[in-house]
Amino acid sequence: MSETAPSSQRLSPLVTVLLLIGAGIMLMPMLWTLLLSFKSNAALMADSGSAFMPPWTLENYAAIFQGSLTTRWLINSLIVSTGSTIGVLVLSSLAGYGFARLDFPFRRTLFVIVLLGLAVPEQAVILPRHQLFAMLGLHNSYPGLILPSLTGAFGVFFMTQYFRAIPPELDEAALLDGASRLTLFWKVLLPLTWPAQATLGVFTFLGSWNDYWWPLISATTSDYFTLTVGLASAQMNYAQTSGLGFLMAQAVFASIPILVVYIAFQKQIVRAMAGTAVR
Amino acid sequence: MNRARRDALVGYAFVGPFLLVYAAVLVVPLLMGIVISFNNADLFGRREWIGLANYAQALSDPVLRQAFFNTLTLTLLIVPPLTVIALLLALALNRNTRLAAVLRGVFFSSLVLSVTIVTLIWRFILTPDAGLVAVGLQAVGQPPIPFLSDPAYVIPALAVTTLWWSLGFPIMLFLAGLQQVPGDIYEAAALDGAGRWTVFRRITLPSIRRTLLLVVMLQTAAQLQIFGQAQLLTGGGPGGASRTIVLYIFEVSFGRWELGYATAIAELLFGMILLVTLLQYWFVTRQEGDRA
Amino acid sequence: MSGLELIDVSKSYGATRVLDGVSLSIAPREFIAFLGPSGSGKSTLLRIIAGLETLDSGEVHLGGQRIDGLAPGARGIAMVFQHYALYPHMTVRENMAFGLINAKVPKDEIASRIAQAADILEIGSQLDKKPGQMSGGQRQRVAIGRAIVKQPRLFLLDEPLSNLDAALRSRTRVELAQLRNRVDAALIMVTHDQAEAMTLADRIVVMNDRRIQQVGTPAEVYARPANAFVARFVGSPAMAMLAGRVISGESGRLRVRLAGGAELQTAVAAAGIAADAPVEVGLRPEHVTLAPPGSGGIAATVELVERLGDRTFIYTRLAEGSEVIACAPGFSEVRPGDEVLLAIDAAAAHVFSADGTAHHPEASA
Repeated sequence: MSETAPSSQRLSPLVTVLLLIGAGIMLMPMLWTLLLSFKSNAALMADSGSAFMPPWTLENYAAIFQGSLTTRWLINSLIVSTGSTIGVLVLSSLAGYGFARLDFPFRRTLFVIVLLGLAVPEQAVILPRHQLFAMLGLHNSYPGLILPSLTGAFGVFFMTQYFRAIPPELDEAALLDGASRLTLFWKVLLPLTWPAQATLGVFTFLGSWNDYWWPLISATTSDYFTLTVGLASAQMNYAQTSGLGFLMAQAVFASIPILVVYIAFQKQIVRAMAGTAVR
Repeated sequence: MNRARRDALVGYAFVGPFLLVYAAVLVVPLLMGIVISFNNADLFGRREWIGLANYAQALSDPVLRQAFFNTLTLTLLIVPPLTVIALLLALALNRNTRLAAVLRGVFFSSLVLSVTIVTLIWRFILTPDAGLVAVGLQAVGQPPIPFLSDPAYVIPALAVTTLWWSLGFPIMLFLAGLQQVPGDIYEAAALDGAGRWTVFRRITLPSIRRTLLLVVMLQTAAQLQIFGQAQLLTGGGPGGASRTIVLYIFEVSFGRWELGYATAIAELLFGMILLVTLLQYWFVTRQEGDRA
Repeated sequence: MSGLELIDVSKSYGATRVLDGVSLSIAPREFIAFLGPSGSGKSTLLRIIAGLETLDSGEVHLGGQRIDGLAPGARGIAMVFQHYALYPHMTVRENMAFGLINAKVPKDEIASRIAQAADILEIGSQLDKKPGQMSGGQRQRVAIGRAIVKQPRLFLLDEPLSNLDAALRSRTRVELAQLRNRVDAALIMVTHDQAEAMTLADRIVVMNDRRIQQVGTPAEVYARPANAFVARFVGSPAMAMLAGRVISGESGRLRVRLAGGAELQTAVAAAGIAADAPVEVGLRPEHVTLAPPGSGGIAATVELVERLGDRTFIYTRLAEGSEVIACAPGFSEVRPGDEVLLAIDAAAAHVFSADGTAHHPEASA
């Protein structure tokens, strides 16, 4: 938490200019998208360069709310991402506390098995998982979209490390204070893991919000599309859709929730990463 | 013992829910996948044991070979520049000024976008008929370049798109790593009269080796699985020039319904990622051993 | 109403035995110090009493009730931890209330107990602060307050002064002494600092090597250490130990020849020690002084001089290699490297047999 790097040094002018150019390159595509989203489709059809000049319009955003599926997809994405985040936080916190503090047979073995999960890429399981979910009738459902994100070994590893860093004296003090295991977990330790919860929560939400491969193959009816899949289908049908400006408005609209989450938690993320992700 | 038994029950109550999901949704499919890869299987449940035939087919499949080299090229075009740029940016942005804070936000921003949005944005930067680059070229009287339909440009175009998208997370990791370096090391180095380059080579770099390893390992594993960009921006085209391994897996399984073969390719990719990751890990830790 | 009773308590971690048949009896309002080096088993014993460790065999009774099978929170014991272990996310008030809420103490009762404890410890104005906003000394008081409000039958204090700086340490020592007068409970303090134990405790339990070495008042432990370990561990600077052999038991008192050749006529009863037996002679610094040049003292070289103002400790080494610490009144002018002569008050010397058993000087007739 203390600033330890040589942060007192000011940036040299050359570096500052280079950084600003870099920042420009980072921002330009987003500004371009923003500009396009405020132009009427017809004007862009004639010349997309006209995006740099008025007149601008809100008609593309209005169109999103009029009968398009975008709002439905947004709601799907919110449900799936929120469900995944809550699920991961609950499961990882319980398991993290269990692995860090409780003693039971095969604890080490089980923890190693969970850690091995870190090395399993999505590709190794996604096709058979698709088969499994088909057998169980889980495709085109919220549980079907949420369950795969709950297998994340990282969350368990992360929370275990975090619980281990809490001094065991606190547990002992609580036990002497007559707390049950559940009270100890709920009232004493869990509140102390708030920074870790925030970090893990944001990354889970982000990962789930932006996941593409799994919802692409699991959600096949447009009612269960998430935003990523929905916008991908709209993008594929670029020629048939109402146009460039509308697509870009959809993109901006789809990014707003995640930007809000990100900005709200930016400080927490960076701080917690400094503490745990890099050991 | 009664007490030990109760402790065990409490322990399993805490780790049980996760382990259950983990077993059902990760371990079971992982094992299923190995079995399926030895079968002539389709998406609708047909299974016929054919031993290693799928793997034999994979080794002699020219499309897979092309996808393999495309993926490898992309990984090599993305990981080294991404690592170097992210490290340089982290070094420059690791300070307490307002400007640095704002710029950190800017460089992190693309990481929150989904692949769909990223490709949507970049399609209308790269497309020759309405893209931003085309608009720029037009302004200086140059003809537009068909980035996404010319075999010579398509891989670099995907690489640039991915670089732009992936920059934020490595910067974050590097910043976190740099924060861990104790400040008094820098003060000691300053007292020893070390120059900037020496400080970087001898102090900063060794202190963040582990972060460097983490970034390279994560990014390599991620780029070997590159999928969405290729599928959405180019569809693997033109003529398979930008088809990646995972895109091919997707085509084989959900286009041709050859689940057995697709799974075998996925297992090969799994093995490849594991091997590369272990090699990277071994390479870095071996050097650490030399130092000690 | 009896206090704490330990009966034959043993504990092992795997193959490593950490406590070996420890028995001890503590009166209801006694202040006891567990004194010993690290690894002596004193902390394990404390944790077994608290219920944070299970014992392998033996019994623990408190107030006539067997407690070794009870959960830590059900034993009527409060503990002040070495690093305080305050709950960082709770205010001082919530920290103190936590145990009472778990024990289902009525709300107004909780409030009045906290108010009372805060009054005693002068932390009334801090009740709504979080531990992170307080100094080390204040946190210590909160930790004590959290223990007081539970109105336990037994207080356990784990190295209570080790985290404090020198100034705060002496003040807290006074507060701990006051604490024992305010509470109707026994207190056990674990410490490795013999000065702390001597100052505060009614009785000291000296532990080493998994066992209790001696139980006694500070004066007893200092003047009549049960064995060579206790003799060396209690007292600062430590007792010097000189190897020697018993010559004879003239007039019923031992006469010992030291390795360097000098002979000492001690006041230790000769009974039970064979002539020519190897022994160690223990000398506290206050029983060794500098002899004037030319007198018949033992020659030694000064290695270190510790001047405390009112007296000076002179660390010397004899020709045969043993270290002896002498004490001189006031401000001695000797310097390291000086050759000096030591006068030994042989009548105050302790004698230890080869197995460590202590033999103390008898009061001179």
